[in-house]
Amino acid sequence: MSIDDRQLIGLIEESQDLQVDALRAAKAGIPDLREIAADRRDARPDPIQIARYNLGRRSLLQRLGLTGGALAARGVLAGGFGAALAGIVARPAAADTALDVQMLQTASSLERLAVATYEAALGLDFIKNGNATVVAFAQTTMSQHNEHKMAFQAQTEALGGKVQDAPNPKFAAVVDEAVPTLKAPLDVVNLAATLEKVATDTYLTDLTMFEDVTSKEIMGSVMGVEAQHLAVLRAVAALLTANMPDLIAVPTDLAALPAAAGSVATPEPFETTEPDLIAEPESGAVK
Amino acid sequence: MTDETNTSIFDNAKQIAVSRRRFLGASAGLVAAAGVLAACGSDDDDASSSTGSGDDGSSTSTTGAESGGGDASGDLAIAKVAAGLEVLAVGTYTAALDAAGSGALGEVPPAVGEFVTTAMGNHQAHLDAWNKVLADAGEAEVTEPNADLKPVVDAEFAKVTDVAGAAMLALMLEEIAAQTYLKVLPTLSSPEAIQLAGSIQVVDQQHQSVLLFALGQYPVPEVFQQTDKAAA
Repeated sequence: MSIDDRQLIGLIEESQDLQVDALRAAKAGIPDLREIAADRRDARPDPIQIARYNLGRRSLLQRLGLTGGALAARGVLAGGFGAALAGIVARPAAADTALDVQMLQTASSLERLAVATYEAALGLDFIKNGNATVVAFAQTTMSQHNEHKMAFQAQTEALGGKVQDAPNPKFAAVVDEAVPTLKAPLDVVNLAATLEKVATDTYLTDLTMFEDVTSKEIMGSVMGVEAQHLAVLRAVAALLTANMPDLIAVPTDLAALPAAAGSVATPEPFETTEPDLIAEPESGAVK
Repeated sequence: MTDETNTSIFDNAKQIAVSRRRFLGASAGLVAAAGVLAACGSDDDDASSSTGSGDDGSSTSTTGAESGGGDASGDLAIAKVAAGLEVLAVGTYTAALDAAGSGALGEVPPAVGEFVTTAMGNHQAHLDAWNKVLADAGEAEVTEPNADLKPVVDAEFAKVTDVAGAAMLALMLEEIAAQTYLKVLPTLSSPEAIQLAGSIQVVDQQHQSVLLFALGQYPVPEVFQQTDKAAA
């Protein structure tokens, strides 16, 4: 296999430059949030705020046709976004933490888990001594998740919340269960793809519930990148499954790629959320 | 590392550098056109051409146009812009398929052909979804491409002579689309519209990764998705 190390390193350096620029831009907006933080310092919503939020949930349920019996019929049985969202909004708002802060804390916990998982994967012999492009991707992706975590943490603080720096317990359990079964690169790629799918679907769901505009902008921006991680992992998994590891390279041999490589990254025209792969807002909230 | 390998690396690096310059040149016009659109603001309901006549933004449907306490007319204006971009994307991918079929792009790798077919189908589904939102709200469906970007895309497409050129043009269109969706997300009022725009933004981002990989570039080049090329 021929890996163009120097070119790959150059591309990664270019990516890192972009990361620095992007983070600088993201951080530039943080000072503007101090005024909001002053208004929402202890992240404890007042009764009017809670009532408005619960009213919003009921309104959303009604628009989705997911109230009462309809919720039982569709919310439980139907897959996709409607069921996932119904499961979340059907619960009353927690009175101890504002929803926006909860979602940012949970996002931080997902990013923390992703960093830990990629770090652990990079320590596995069959990864660190395996395909150089996979290693470079894991390193770069881990770094990007760390940047995402810091952005969510900064925004949590800006809104007056406590920073979450622990892995998401719901999906940490999934990772813990999977780790003993990791025997080959494909196992690791599939686990990483699951975590990227969790992040993408959680953020897509959260975007419909955020009140704070800046939080929405940050999460939308991060979601777009997690979706790309997912696309790459789908393609890598397909090439590993097809026993074509040599084609996992930058640049690759375009002519040698199987036709399916052109469609495997986007199996559906819309991102379809899966209820089991969503981290509910309270799942990573600081207690 | 052998001399042969070094030569290969340098040849590839040089090729990519040339490709990037071509890409930047081609993209400048598109970005400028997208910038003009953005400067017009999302309050311009006619930013995308639509056919026929329709009612105003008031809605009696149960779709995304209806949003308790939100700005349904704003969502519909964004739906029109989005649909105009999707028409443009479908048309461009269709033209690329035609060019490939005629041999105008040289030899087309199977994965590239599959991608073009897939992406074209995805964008058609996106267009259909936005047009359903508009139709359910009593608005006319959008059937014409974004009027500001179309001439620029046509001019750039006329210069395309190979697969790499077509891929670079597609990459720029996907960037404009994905960034537009990201930029409008905070301004959409209904959860359904947010979910639709977000689920399309995700797929357009993934299209970019495939194109970047095909072009020999790192498939996730940014740590945060940007909005500087957004068309709204």
